[in-house]
Amino acid sequence: MEQEQASAAPQPIFTLDGREIPIEPGDSILKAAWRQGIEIPHYCWHPGLSVAANCRMCLVEIRSGRVMNLPILRKDEATGEFVPATKPKLAPACQTPATPGAEVYALSPEAKGAHHAVQELLLLNHPVDCPICDQAGECKLQDYWHDNQADLKRKLTEPVHKPKAVRFGETIVYDAERCIMCTRCIRFCTEVAKDPVLDMRERGNRNEVVLAPGRTLDHRYTLMTEHVCPVGALTSRDFRFKARVWFLKTAPSVCSGCATGCNTFADFDPRQGQVFRLRPRDNPEVNTFWMCDDGMLSYREVHEQRLLGPQQRSQTGVASIPIERLYTEPDVVLGEALATALKGDAPVALVANAALSTEDNTALLRLAKALGHTRVYLAGRPAWEGDDILRHADHNPNRAGVEAAAGELGITLTDAAELVSGGARFGGVLWLGTEHAVDVAALRQATSALWVLGTHLGDLAAAADLALPILSWAEQAGSYTNAKGIAQPFAAVIPPLAGQPSAAALLTLAGGVLADLNGAEPTPSASMRTSGVSGGAAEGQMEAAQ
Amino acid sequence: MGKPVKRPEQSLSERAFLPEVAKGLTLTASRFFKNTFSSAEKGDIATVRYPEEQREYPERFRGVHRLTQRDDGSPRCVACLCCSTACPAQCIHIEPAEYGEGDPRQGYEKFPKVFVIDELRCIFCGMCVEACPCDAIRMDTGMHMPPALERDAFLLDKELLLSLPAADGSVKSANPRHEPGDKTHPGIDRDRSGH
Repeated sequence: MEQEQASAAPQPIFTLDGREIPIEPGDSILKAAWRQGIEIPHYCWHPGLSVAANCRMCLVEIRSGRVMNLPILRKDEATGEFVPATKPKLAPACQTPATPGAEVYALSPEAKGAHHAVQELLLLNHPVDCPICDQAGECKLQDYWHDNQADLKRKLTEPVHKPKAVRFGETIVYDAERCIMCTRCIRFCTEVAKDPVLDMRERGNRNEVVLAPGRTLDHRYTLMTEHVCPVGALTSRDFRFKARVWFLKTAPSVCSGCATGCNTFADFDPRQGQVFRLRPRDNPEVNTFWMCDDGMLSYREVHEQRLLGPQQRSQTGVASIPIERLYTEPDVVLGEALATALKGDAPVALVANAALSTEDNTALLRLAKALGHTRVYLAGRPAWEGDDILRHADHNPNRAGVEAAAGELGITLTDAAELVSGGARFGGVLWLGTEHAVDVAALRQATSALWVLGTHLGDLAAAADLALPILSWAEQAGSYTNAKGIAQPFAAVIPPLAGQPSAAALLTLAGGVLADLNGAEPTPSASMRTSGVSGGAAEGQMEAAQ
Repeated sequence: MGKPVKRPEQSLSERAFLPEVAKGLTLTASRFFKNTFSSAEKGDIATVRYPEEQREYPERFRGVHRLTQRDDGSPRCVACLCCSTACPAQCIHIEPAEYGEGDPRQGYEKFPKVFVIDELRCIFCGMCVEACPCDAIRMDTGMHMPPALERDAFLLDKELLLSLPAADGSVKSANPRHEPGDKTHPGIDRDRSGH
């Protein structure tokens, strides 16, 4: 370690307000400070976009090198006379390269004065409609007003009025009065989404962001324009007017939309246990700073079309069972049915799911191993269209994770489509998850019984003899392994919606019940109940529920 | 040990006890008749005969809340939730909604679909009125919350809050308001810039 440090050239540094900041090659002053977690106030600069240097908020004073001083007249407070003086020429920190040994000041009186002046200019024609603005609470104009201005408005005339509530597309609404023309959204569309659909029109008071003629904002990354907007000019039609951000809490999560596995923040209201939105969480190895629209809106699946109680199918139709029976009579609802099928001649197929977490799938794979299965089927959502920005063609977040878990246990995975196309006849199919890409009617033809442990209503849950509710990604911690093989944990965001158990808990329970029914021999599944991956936590949860 | 206490000197009538009892009863009886047949209005006594008589409250008395109205009778409230954020008793429940298609306010202004104040929880601190940026919630009705037997009677909903008048009888606020698209809006815009 010491040898490495000795052999490497010392990293160049500059000082910012007396604090030493290391410089990476190509860094600007702002970026080098940003790496160290020091924020020089800025609007138009974004670490994932090109430098525009048009908001002028990040002006800093550089006292090293060739200092340029401007001649000015400064008012002498004592005499009231204007006397000749000089003031330093300030430089935008986002565009000025960080040079070794430079002496930079962002908190000097000159720099603070510039921040105050720029902030006042940006707010000159601002409508100050924070009460009806969804950015309020996470708005840079508010933050920097507190930090740098904290002053009353001096302008007495009516502000300039511009178009409000312009629909840019299905997802985004634009308010030109709140816009500070930082061009972040324009640069995002051009540089990241590769669809230059936004541009700017006019200058000065009539300056506004406009769509390309004949176009709407309809590419796959439109919600990112709202995310990069430092003020309330672009708002998401999905989130607007739904919640105030200061009521929301945040949990780190991972997008379940595709095999890219973008890191997210899930914002939820703890009072209602409701997820309100997903935001990208910076991770240079996976999603850098971005997410796609489908991923951002995938939080909806937590609350829409959820299977919230066990459903049993009989000759008279599908009937709901009280969810308490999962805890009071678990042998009736799962174990006995499975045991009966296992005692028959036709084989029972177990289906893992690439759309669910590694923990849930591991419980199923362990049950399969305890039952002596060497082959488990792998289901998942049907493929969708990928692109070369973020979206992966595999719609499932955890295919690699299930494959790795199966490999560890020595279990072969086969595509679930072969349940239908293979021509074999099954005594029963235990399907983990409600995500599938098969013809459900044909599946019912191929098996005499179908049990589903899933999160959502739909054709598979409706066709099941027994459909049991399990926790979704928002209600339990877990992990997904993305297409690059990076295992990413995610946290539980909200409490279980209907007090339902996790899939791992149910499967562990089933394993234990099977062991009891088969003569109480100590099988791996019985030991799994006490020492399994999630058995301990799951049983604690059940005791709490009882 | 201990501090010696000087015993009060007592006269003969005081030591006899009964004359003192008679004096006390006389005072009590005289107060009884004076209080029964006089009033605070005349200035004879200091107490009021509540609830028949009521004291005049100061002008800034914080009574039951009301929601102010716009010219068209709709609430001035824009459902910003500032009042429920400021409320230390957490007695205000608001559900925002968007104006319908065709309304000039549609798109950038919201209104409270549900606005409920729990007057039992309320501590009448006036923070909601301070927090309101739209002068939409006021406590100038001059009313006490009337007594009731059910808890539900203390949950005042939007319609009731909108219908309550101020102490002077008005349902609006004195502060004027420019509606979107009003001709009263001064300033420059795209249509009036001559550009």
